[in-house]
Amino acid sequence: MSGAALPAARRGALPWWLRRVVGVSRRSPTLAIGAAILICFAVLAVIAPWIVPHDPVAANPRNVLASPGGAHLMGTDGNGMDVFSRVLAGAGWAFGIAIPAVLVGIAVGVPLGLYTGYKGGWADEIIMRVFDALRVFPSIILALAVVAAAGPSLFNVVLVIGLLDSPVFARVVRAEVLALRNSTFVESAIAAGNPTWRILFVHILPNAIQGAMAQSAVRAAWAVRISATLAFLGVGIQAPTPEWGAMIRQGAEYLVTGQWWVGIFPGIALILMVLGLNMLGDGLQDLLDPRRKAASK
Amino acid sequence: MPVGLLIARRVLLVVPLLAAILLFTFLLVRIGGQDPVGLLAGPTATQAEIEMIRSQLALDQPIWVQFGVYFGRVLQGDLGSSWLSNRPVLTDLLERAPATFELMFWGVLIGAGIGIPLGLRAAFRPDGPFDQTTRFLSLLGFSIPTYWLGLVMLFVFFFLLEWTPPGMGRLSLFLEPPPFVTGSYLIDGLLAAQWEVASSALSQLVLPVLCVAIISAAPIIKQTRAIALEVLSSDYIRYARAQGLPQGEVRRMALRNSATPVVTFVGTEITGLVGTTALIEYVFAWGGMGQYGLSAIIQNDFAAIQGYVLVLALFSVLVFLAVDIFVMLTEPRAGARA
Repeated sequence: MSGAALPAARRGALPWWLRRVVGVSRRSPTLAIGAAILICFAVLAVIAPWIVPHDPVAANPRNVLASPGGAHLMGTDGNGMDVFSRVLAGAGWAFGIAIPAVLVGIAVGVPLGLYTGYKGGWADEIIMRVFDALRVFPSIILALAVVAAAGPSLFNVVLVIGLLDSPVFARVVRAEVLALRNSTFVESAIAAGNPTWRILFVHILPNAIQGAMAQSAVRAAWAVRISATLAFLGVGIQAPTPEWGAMIRQGAEYLVTGQWWVGIFPGIALILMVLGLNMLGDGLQDLLDPRRKAASK
Repeated sequence: MPVGLLIARRVLLVVPLLAAILLFTFLLVRIGGQDPVGLLAGPTATQAEIEMIRSQLALDQPIWVQFGVYFGRVLQGDLGSSWLSNRPVLTDLLERAPATFELMFWGVLIGAGIGIPLGLRAAFRPDGPFDQTTRFLSLLGFSIPTYWLGLVMLFVFFFLLEWTPPGMGRLSLFLEPPPFVTGSYLIDGLLAAQWEVASSALSQLVLPVLCVAIISAAPIIKQTRAIALEVLSSDYIRYARAQGLPQGEVRRMALRNSATPVVTFVGTEITGLVGTTALIEYVFAWGGMGQYGLSAIIQNDFAAIQGYVLVLALFSVLVFLAVDIFVMLTEPRAGARA
């Protein structure tokens, strides 16, 4: 891919980090757009409490279902709450669930992948068979059923999404470890008498983590989707909370009577954030996986 | 190894998998640490019902005996009773299965019909404008919440344009379902020459099928493109090109060699679509297994949840099995490697 290069003089004038940004964006526009969307959402999520025009959970019975415009950019919902403020506040909820969930997935999956890939043997065999067996359950339904069974608290939602993500991280890391296990630097680390945990976490992990990093964006997208789906079904997060899925649930009943703004706007925000994460993940996979890069040439 | 033996071995591998699935659904009602009897019996159960379920589950025995009892009951087709419908879960699920299959069948058919040509066309000119556009559309398809798409469809085509009936089931309330042949109201209505039924079924099908098709097309586009790219960059295609074969001829060769992996992928994709279909069923009040399962999850009907999850897993096992056998029959090399 060769775009029109910036004139050398102008390019030299840019600070180094901006030159990197331009370089990466040119190699993968998908990644750049995805990252830009996410940065916007992250900034909005952080400053939302100060910039929202109205309190996102303040009901106003005298101003129910006002159409968009005027004091309410996106109208008001069935409780008279300001939809725009609620959509902004929803970004925080989405990040607040997705980030811890992915961290749980990494915290469980990466060590499992390291250990099974390095040690092999029956433990590896059993864990991989269990992961294979889990694949026969459709992921959305599995997440919903397990959350319902474990009790639909916010803590359980995060935990279940994270645990169901962990096989993905374990697989990616395990595959990398299998390729690295017999390389010279690992053999010399063993010969130098390093304990196993040190070989795994200090020597192998930094070389095996790339694939998992690319996956984490895709898994975060999944986490945002699943948590919103749970809220849409009314399992877990409940109505007045400014969470996008819960807001779409509220909006569902008004769509067929014409008050589209209650459900449409949170859906658009949800799409944009998931799209941003998916684009970031797609771009990262392209950049990090030399095989995929070669195939797309 | 001859193909027949390979297939037999593959079928045998299903047995331990089934045991693992049953173990999982068995544990499902126990992971919350709540009393499984209370969960399965539901809030409306009388003392006598609770006692009956308690003795059925053999809860006074060690946990592996309980699992054995559960295993035996499932083998006899007893998935317990739903406290919501007050009927055996298996009966409930079987009754709703045709609705789900009708939706999935048309959805995947149209999704593949859209996705495969787009993916192939994108692969013929990688990184071209067409490829970039379809790549974005596919990412968008990955990102749209299924239920939101359904709601927007209803808003646009039912409320604004008034082209379609409201999303309330598979058939107008004033019509009787056609006599059962295939389970699809559309096909059965046509077979019975009940044109009014068939056209009502069709108009009810359009929106939900469109939703399933859009959501299922996204991964199909992505995967078809990847498969076709790999084939197109293979040695024999380069050889064919070097020989000076016309473009159309080369592409036809690539198509033939992409066919098996694409069909395999679409097959496995069906299992992933079960969740999508369930949400669409929920939005359109479709009355299929998916709506039943989601309602069970929402209202804590655990016998139904357990049965629904089990039936979905069995469905996936069957699909994976069929796909693997298909590959073994069409590509003996792949089978020998497995």
